[in-house]
Amino acid sequence: MSKSSQAVSSSIPGMSTSAEQRKAYIQVDLLAIPLVVLLFAGIFSFHFALLVGDWDYWVDWRDRRWWPLVTPLAITVLPAVFSYVLWDKLRLPLGGTLTILCLTLAAWISRYLNFHLFADFPMNFVWPSTYIGLGLILDCLLLLTRSFFWTGLFGGFAVGAFMYPLNWSMLAPFQVPVEMHGTMLTVADTLGYEYIRTAIPEYVRIIEESTLRTFGAAVTPLTAVFAGFLNILNYWFWLWIGYLGTKAIWIRKIV
Amino acid sequence: MKTILSLSISVLVFLISLLPLEAVAHGERAQMPQLRMRTVHWLDVKVSTAKLAVNEVITVKGQFMPSKYWPHHVNSIEDTAYLNIGVPGPSFVRLDSRVNGVPMIRSTSFHYGELYDFEVTMKARKPGRYHVHPVINVKGTGPIIGPGIWVEVTGSFADFENSTTTLLGKKIDLETYGFSNVVFWSALWFSVGLAWFIYWLTKCPIIVPRFKAAQELGTKADEMITVWDRRIAGSFLLLTLSLIAGGYLYAQEQYPITTPLQTGRVDVPAVERAPNPVSVKLIEARYRIPGRSFRLEVEVTNRGDAPITVGEFAAGNLRFINSAVLKVKPLDEHDLVAPDALRVEGGPVAPGETKRLVLYADDAMWETERMTTMISSPDAVVAGLLHFYTDTGQRYLVEFGGPMIPVFG
Repeated sequence: MSKSSQAVSSSIPGMSTSAEQRKAYIQVDLLAIPLVVLLFAGIFSFHFALLVGDWDYWVDWRDRRWWPLVTPLAITVLPAVFSYVLWDKLRLPLGGTLTILCLTLAAWISRYLNFHLFADFPMNFVWPSTYIGLGLILDCLLLLTRSFFWTGLFGGFAVGAFMYPLNWSMLAPFQVPVEMHGTMLTVADTLGYEYIRTAIPEYVRIIEESTLRTFGAAVTPLTAVFAGFLNILNYWFWLWIGYLGTKAIWIRKIV
Repeated sequence: MKTILSLSISVLVFLISLLPLEAVAHGERAQMPQLRMRTVHWLDVKVSTAKLAVNEVITVKGQFMPSKYWPHHVNSIEDTAYLNIGVPGPSFVRLDSRVNGVPMIRSTSFHYGELYDFEVTMKARKPGRYHVHPVINVKGTGPIIGPGIWVEVTGSFADFENSTTTLLGKKIDLETYGFSNVVFWSALWFSVGLAWFIYWLTKCPIIVPRFKAAQELGTKADEMITVWDRRIAGSFLLLTLSLIAGGYLYAQEQYPITTPLQTGRVDVPAVERAPNPVSVKLIEARYRIPGRSFRLEVEVTNRGDAPITVGEFAAGNLRFINSAVLKVKPLDEHDLVAPDALRVEGGPVAPGETKRLVLYADDAMWETERMTTMISSPDAVVAGLLHFYTDTGQRYLVEFGGPMIPVFG
């Protein structure tokens, strides 16, 4: 008798062999995983639009003070929550990468359909930043350390500290200087000026508005390190929210 | 049958939603009348052409005056403001914008009662028919929209070109610059992330078996992680850190000279203008709702050397013309001009004379442009601009303002 046709000594009604059981489990995966992907894409897009919004929509918003501080704090929320759930319940280190992959997919679809095709902005003005590397760091560290504490300490810090260098490979060409009517701008500023946004005047951009000015031109590293330290606590806090989520009565009733 | 019918309706609605509809306005009528009347007075707004092809240049120019009766409950234009242009998305690209000759790339502030000259130069990007408005965005208040003029753009979107030269001497196409690099890095990261996800999917079924195993193992659930999992995780971590460092160093090597995003404020000096010999004091303003009639009683003092007559009363982008003094033809079907809607009682004001005039601005525009809701204003104050003319055509602009009493019967 083959292994797949062995009788199953489970109490699951209607399943008499391990092959049938495996088939049922695969059907659960086939149903649940696409739904989870859609769920992550939807809620992360909504969450990110509310908390980061224009910083990620427009290339002339990605400054060196606020963007590297706000974005890691916002990008960590759902990866931390779902890292706890997926690790605690399934021992799957996917909470970081999968949520951010879904966000990335939704962001590209939205930028292309809404911002480019519908609103006519050129794609080089509205491309979404990348954060997938940050999710990978969180997941790999969680698997290697098998500890939320160390993942928060090193991974949380890394998310804050590495967000800017991770995106610099794409952002750098847009911060090359240009002259316009006797004023120095970056290419990103030029795009922002030329491609008209009636409802987004220049002053709405929250750039260069902070007090981290002590170390001369080294604003970005300082902001990144500050974001890293802050994000350690942020990661742990949202893990705790994930923990509370798994303890919720309605979750327990379902599982 | 019902299914087919509902499916057909759904498809029809979807197809209708795809039809290219014309953007006809920018919500100017939605703004509260007191905002329109007491924030910015726009005048002489003109476009250099009403029809142009893709890649051709158009200029929008005119004047504006921030009101001295700016509502106290609204953030001030004397703090932070920005000259903008109201068009549906980037159907044009803005090449230049100036106020009193000063480039308006950055934000600025404008002073109450000062008359400013503005000019915005744009290049047509996408074919279509657009209602082009000058706009001043005021921080904390929002956009203050000027009069709109219809402009038609012909040609092909595909022919549009927009390039500039960086300070390092490289000519770049602003429509596509840097995007292939963005696509490369985004695709690379997406591939790496997807590979990590697929690695775990290869263990399918993963949900029920792993859930059961984790429950059964309890505190020993970490035993579910294999040595191979750790090796893969270590490799991915190393790859991720290497890509971040490598990408950063690559960008630094490719673009050694970069600057932070630029911001700041510019000052707009006032233009020297001839002294205004006319002053106006509002005695009474009454708006009769059933007749859509605005009655103004003003006291006018003429310190000039020629008699003056009211030729125009402008408020909230509506223009009421005294046809006995001025002949004005609307620029298009949506130009908010009533060419014969201002009646002036009291006659010309002679040099050195102080005289009471009664003005009647009667037109359905009060209703159609939703100005009648001025009676909902929290302080019931109105303001407007009177255009006085001498016999030789010399124009004097005087702003007036004060309380308004509605007449309901």
